[in-house]
Amino acid sequence: MRKIAVFVGSLLPLAYLLYGVQEANDPIKHIYTLTGLSAMGFLFLSLALTPLRRVLNLLRYRRMLGLFALFYASLHFGNFFLLDAQLDLRFVLKETLDKPFITLGMGAFVILIFMGTTSTKRLFAKHHAKHKLVYIALILILIHETMAQKVLGEREVFFIFLTVILLGYRGIGLVKRVKKDKRT
Amino acid sequence: MYIFKKPRWQLSQTEVTDEALFHKRRDFLKLGAAALVSSSVVMDTLWAAKNDPLAPLAFSPTPYGKGLELSTFEQASTYNNFYEFSTAKEKPARMAHTLRPSPWEVGFHGECENTTPLEVSALLTTLPLEERIYRFRCVEGWSMVVPWIGFPLSALLAIAKPTSKAKYVLFQTKYDPTMFPDQRKGMRQGVIPYPYVEGLRMDEAMHPLAFVAVGMYGKVLPNQNGAPLRLIVPWKYGFKSIKSIDHVAFTTTEPKNTWQALNPREYGFYANVNPHVDHPRWSQAKERKLGSFLKTETLMFNGYGEEVASLYKEMDLKRFF
Repeated sequence: MRKIAVFVGSLLPLAYLLYGVQEANDPIKHIYTLTGLSAMGFLFLSLALTPLRRVLNLLRYRRMLGLFALFYASLHFGNFFLLDAQLDLRFVLKETLDKPFITLGMGAFVILIFMGTTSTKRLFAKHHAKHKLVYIALILILIHETMAQKVLGEREVFFIFLTVILLGYRGIGLVKRVKKDKRT
Repeated sequence: MYIFKKPRWQLSQTEVTDEALFHKRRDFLKLGAAALVSSSVVMDTLWAAKNDPLAPLAFSPTPYGKGLELSTFEQASTYNNFYEFSTAKEKPARMAHTLRPSPWEVGFHGECENTTPLEVSALLTTLPLEERIYRFRCVEGWSMVVPWIGFPLSALLAIAKPTSKAKYVLFQTKYDPTMFPDQRKGMRQGVIPYPYVEGLRMDEAMHPLAFVAVGMYGKVLPNQNGAPLRLIVPWKYGFKSIKSIDHVAFTTTEPKNTWQALNPREYGFYANVNPHVDHPRWSQAKERKLGSFLKTETLMFNGYGEEVASLYKEMDLKRFF
């Protein structure tokens, strides 16, 4: 029951997007912004559940939130391919290779696709170590989102702050484990 | 005698709703709708309603841009890059009531004979106004078509009588933190350094297509579109078309425009619309016309190549972007 509520809640950004896009002055840009920020939001949320579990264990929603990050990232990519590139595969390839801004986004998208497809119970058991790649994806997305702006805004500073906290938490955990290993 | 019997559906002239009343009712409905959205929107709408509606202007039509499909007034007045208010494009329309477009003096400095500042209202009575429909292409990739009202830039510059030493023209947006909230944050915290500066080479500035707009869609410029007067250089990216001009200066050296100073790798002095020279982060080959889900091809010099290409003969446009 709660899972259904989280699922429906996770579709709200999509509903908001569909509601506003007809009226948007610059629809393609509007879709980019909303799908991009939603993907980023769900990624942050799913990653925050790991350190948060000491206070509140919501780990059972982590996979779903992560998959929603992939879902919104797919819409983001779909906007690039369908509307922005108008199905011109050569243009997509050229832009991906030419422009670091696009390369970073594509790199992150590939990581998210890999994680999504290996998130079933059976495959996760085999690949879970590689899921640490999500932190690479996070950094790529962070740079990609910052590069999408003409000037650094408060929102970008906030995202950088969140990333530093998440990476810092994971970093401290790693250092502790290494030290413990040395002692034993 | 033929007695004309008026059909029942034909109302007499006296029954026609007064236009002002009609608009009032619409405003009221908008307010009601806005109330459902948020109270801050109501405040903004009230503010806008309280302000004088934009005054209509007398102007003569011109053949410029005949046949182009206009963007709506709504689009052109609610999608603005005006960082002095906000970096969000929908916000200037709601925030620009702090700009006081009158009284407003335009100054003339540098290499010119006449440095007497001019009051904009006086300017409007001296120079005949005309309407020109121009394409407007933003460096970000979106575009619109706007019927501007104003006069050729050359007519404004002629008043100042530039000397032969004048090689460039510098334009500066007004610096007044009581009008522009982002200027209040000071040089370091503002999103870009203020005041905003732009410039043109003298021959570009004297080109008949270079225009000064004081109005659009038959009325005076809305504040968020750069009231009381702004530059329009239709063959260049929108950031060249500086808003709310405070003064003009004739210089001997190339002025450093704000975006070039901020990021010289991405923005140059010339900023001519060019589908063959990409922005480092995105392609400039196509553009998104406001309101459209489909993209259209961007034209060389924004479609004004026939008129302006000769200005850039023998210039490497990849280097001087």
